[in-house]
Amino acid sequence: MCRSQWEASFSNMETLNGLAYGFSVAFTGSNILACFLGVLVGTTVGVLPGIGPIGAMALLIPSTYSLGPTSAIIMLSGIFYGAMYGGSTTSILVNVPGEAASVVTAIDGYKMARKGRAGAALAVSAVGSFVAGTIGLVGLMFFAPPLASLALEFGPPEYFSLTLLGLIFLSRIGSSSALKSFLMVALGLLLGTVGMDLISGIPRFTLGYLELGQGIELVPVAMGLYGIGEVLMIAERITGIPDLIKVKFRELFPTPAEWKKAFPPMIRGGALGFFLGLIPGPAAIISTFAAYTLEKKLSKHPEEFGQGAIEGVAGPESANNSATAGSMVPLLALGIPFAPPTALLLGALTIHGVQPGPLLMTQHPEIFWGVVASMYIGNAVLLILNLPLVGIFASILRLPQHILMGLILLLCLVGTYSINNSFLDIYILLIMGVVGYILRKLDFDMAPLILAVVLGPILEKTLRQSLYYARGDAWAILGRPVAAVLLFIGFSCIVIPPLVRRLRKAAR
Amino acid sequence: MIKAQSIIYLFLSILGAIYLLGGLSLPMGTVNQPGPGFFPTLVGVLILCLSVSAFVLSKRKPTITGERNSVFPHGQDRRRVIGLTLAILSFVVFLNPLGYGICSAALMGATLRLLGLRSWVRIVIIAVLTALISQYFFVLILDVPLPMGSLFF
Repeated sequence: MCRSQWEASFSNMETLNGLAYGFSVAFTGSNILACFLGVLVGTTVGVLPGIGPIGAMALLIPSTYSLGPTSAIIMLSGIFYGAMYGGSTTSILVNVPGEAASVVTAIDGYKMARKGRAGAALAVSAVGSFVAGTIGLVGLMFFAPPLASLALEFGPPEYFSLTLLGLIFLSRIGSSSALKSFLMVALGLLLGTVGMDLISGIPRFTLGYLELGQGIELVPVAMGLYGIGEVLMIAERITGIPDLIKVKFRELFPTPAEWKKAFPPMIRGGALGFFLGLIPGPAAIISTFAAYTLEKKLSKHPEEFGQGAIEGVAGPESANNSATAGSMVPLLALGIPFAPPTALLLGALTIHGVQPGPLLMTQHPEIFWGVVASMYIGNAVLLILNLPLVGIFASILRLPQHILMGLILLLCLVGTYSINNSFLDIYILLIMGVVGYILRKLDFDMAPLILAVVLGPILEKTLRQSLYYARGDAWAILGRPVAAVLLFIGFSCIVIPPLVRRLRKAAR
Repeated sequence: MIKAQSIIYLFLSILGAIYLLGGLSLPMGTVNQPGPGFFPTLVGVLILCLSVSAFVLSKRKPTITGERNSVFPHGQDRRRVIGLTLAILSFVVFLNPLGYGICSAALMGATLRLLGLRSWVRIVIIAVLTALISQYFFVLILDVPLPMGSLFF
């Protein structure tokens, strides 16, 4: 056996040993309970329009204080990937996507339900999510450790370039225009500078409030933008209780022909979703659109799409689940979140005194492998929750909206207050709620703002460190190959799209 | 929509200018050793440039005939949004003097009423029950030290 083959098999053995260790961590009572609670809350918020995984995660961060960091991250990740399962239920049964990543599922899923194939659509969606979730986890297991080893070689210039690239990418692929997204990034960076300067200890933009010296917490910002902002949107357009299509247990079995059609899209969606998850941005949402387009292009009957094609359910539903696993890679391997839910996971890790980054796997293997193993368990639990118990989750929609919104408001307010027992935090929550409402009305994307709040301090620290090590020579950053390549990609992302548009215009 | 966006861009331009001045007032340090004002100054310049460009572009954009003048709600819809915002603000303002129990019941009641529940009896029952159950859950189970009201204790 040559050296490279030996190294590869040794590395694979290490991964399997790590997974075995992860299962020993995940199978403790508190972690199983945390996993179950996480996926249960995730499925519930996925079903409910109004509070998505980000709001729910922000809401539950304070309640994880009494838990250990591993249980806390297991629970919060459970909400993240659990919401992807739950979102499909209402898309299929009532044509109301519970969260943004299930919008595409509604196109063919609801049509299938109208044709009496709701059970098949739900089953394909749940099994597809399970298959793709597993594909994503295998990817996470094999991608994250080598990436973390590589990242050990990274210095401040590489981290600066990577963080900057993440913010640029996010601004380019968001749902609003590039200018609006860049403005949101800049606003997030502004919020990130409030508080004590990490290097000199000088207070900045604290307006005389001592409490602001610690900086603006992520939770009131996220909960305000996504929780209160959404409640205000719903207050504007109150709706009645939707009509639910009832599904009996025996109807939850697709025909062999449907399975045959659905299986390849599950695999393709799983692979596509994982790789899109690695890219900064709302990967879970983008992956569903990408998978739908891919399946339509590959189909021999593209005209069936939009009329109840099972591939149109299997592909997107698989993609959004594996994208969640993909988006965990940069967080767990580099300590840099590229999506709002992983930004909240980073916030939770920091609250629990864990420094995320390439050393996480060696210094806290119980967190990395425990979370990976818990995701296998969580996916299996979700399959059970979302197939035989689908009716129970769908019936949550019967809860009157006014009661639900009142409860969400109280949870947001108390959840925020409980972080520091601070009234200032709830004022920030309210301000961010109003800001979130106005931004939604004006078609601004809020994901870049949230991420910039988290990435801003990293960007500033690494920039200042880079300049310090380079003795003030900013061009020295370009002398580092990885940093130079990353900056070049970022620069291209800004320059090329408008250039192409201009050239096309000129050609016309 | 365009008018509302212009106002937002103008607001962001002013915010950016104030923030930039704040950044410039902090120690800037040297290029070798950037100080606490270095990064905020860069961010301030970025916000100012982006918001001024966006403002100019929004002013240049022609208004499409038939386009809605405002994306914000009118009439009853607007009253609901403003009412709910004021209810949340009141909750925050009165939380310390009145305590969580009264404030949560009032907020729940206001939300129920604003979002369409008409029966006052049902509003009172649901609001009081929510306040009692949530106080028990947050204070006794989750150990959150919620204010009990300085007026009464």
